[in-house]
Amino acid sequence: MSTTTTNAAITVELLRNAACRAHDAMRRNEQRLNEADGKLGDGDTGSMLARLTEALSRADIAQAEDLGAAFALYARAGSAATGSSLGTLLVTALLAASKATKGKTAIGWNELSPLVGAALEAMIRRGGASLGDKTILDAVHAVAEALREVSDQATARRLAAEAARRTLDDFRDKPNRIGRARMFAERSIGQDDPGMLALCILLSDGP
Amino acid sequence: MKKFMNRPADYVDEMLDGLVAAHPSLERCGASRRVIRRAGGARPGKVGIASGGGSGHLPLFTGYVGHGLLDSCSIGNVFEGPNLESCMEAIQFADGGRGVLCLYGNYGGDRMNFDMAGEMLEAEGIVTRTVLGTDDIASAGPDEAAKRRGVAGLILAYKTAGAAAEAGADLDDVTRIAAKTVAATRTIGVALAPCQVPTASAPTFSLGPDEIEMGMGIHGEPGIWRDRLKPADALVDEMLERLIADAPAGASDRVVVLVNGLGATPLEELFILYRRVASGLGERGISVARPLVGAFVTSMEMAGASISLCFVDDELERLIGAPASCPFWIVP
Repeated sequence: MSTTTTNAAITVELLRNAACRAHDAMRRNEQRLNEADGKLGDGDTGSMLARLTEALSRADIAQAEDLGAAFALYARAGSAATGSSLGTLLVTALLAASKATKGKTAIGWNELSPLVGAALEAMIRRGGASLGDKTILDAVHAVAEALREVSDQATARRLAAEAARRTLDDFRDKPNRIGRARMFAERSIGQDDPGMLALCILLSDGP
Repeated sequence: MKKFMNRPADYVDEMLDGLVAAHPSLERCGASRRVIRRAGGARPGKVGIASGGGSGHLPLFTGYVGHGLLDSCSIGNVFEGPNLESCMEAIQFADGGRGVLCLYGNYGGDRMNFDMAGEMLEAEGIVTRTVLGTDDIASAGPDEAAKRRGVAGLILAYKTAGAAAEAGADLDDVTRIAAKTVAATRTIGVALAPCQVPTASAPTFSLGPDEIEMGMGIHGEPGIWRDRLKPADALVDEMLERLIADAPAGASDRVVVLVNGLGATPLEELFILYRRVASGLGERGISVARPLVGAFVTSMEMAGASISLCFVDDELERLIGAPASCPFWIVP
């Protein structure tokens, strides 16, 4: 992603850049995310996300004719890389983004909030978790809200990162309400949800 | 933890290479070669049974492909669900023209991928039904039984549904049998030592020398409560107590018992457990229709065991006893 502050739209090239930076961020944080997951789940979130983002970074989307096709290629690459619940949710989000951007070669930054909202809706439908369950969905929801009325990259980046960080902080002392972690809900209090933490790292450290 | 492996990233594919090399009854197939099916493929006219799940649980899931059991199985990375493509392929490879039952454990990733696969194949005219294994009583209370996860008891549903399909039952009936078996089965696990994901740099949890995790699943995830190690009989008594307290309404007084090793626990200790399970059931007036003792569903090198009870009626008992053959379970 370009670091210059412009009103340039979201394009296939920007998406490609974002995937490469996401992979870099996940590679560097692989064990940290594995450890966070080990406290609540089976300890593989970091490795899974490193592998998923590597698959995205390697997918050749340069020839994609529009954003919809580029997101679809990413969805396919992601789904080949994992079948984990978090990974499949991210693939579901990519598919929803593909559907929403079909035929568009670029979208404005002001269109990012509804795009994230559409992805969130698809993730809720497919995964069965609700807002408030302390999952990545809560952070995605906060990001979609924060991006309302935003029309440039620098503001989008800053507000998205802040929203994800704030959600992580807000939920730390709440119990997980879905997945394995809900069974020892009191022990999940004080722990970061690994999916939420991953999104936070991606937005502050990655793209 | 020490592991026999080459590159951690190759762990699953090299395991599958060896599995099919050692067992010619299994065939590895699919675009990414992440599906195991019976050599020779689906039998026309038979209802197919497809399963799937993450690696790290052998003999589950792929090891139960065989006569009277599964037709095909998709396989994911260690403790990760199988990907969408492999779920679609597993269903296609199981299809003999009379529909396919997707029978797997209740986990988010597995469910999402099989659901998507079923939706996509519906357009191609393949009829699917789904039954989820939900036997782990520690993973949700009785009021939320549908949220429970599938652990060792899943293989009993493989066995009964597989026997029904082999005998020519139609898709609705095979589905009914699988659902009935799941509804009649309860499992609880206990861990003595953790396991480690091949790509991770540390075990997923640590236990003190005298500590145990009760309510352990099969993914090396933390158990539900931690306790002091007690004599085997006391542990069995506590586990049986919880299983029986959770027995389905109107449960029979006859059970198939599965005392399952989670990976590192020796058979010797499983028999020490079974000894008390058998006497404890006898004291409660429950008779054992069939005992199964061994490592049927594991969590890599985790030390520990699970106990499953399947409260059987005549129909389920007959199907559990029907002939079946896969690399890890033969019923003559």
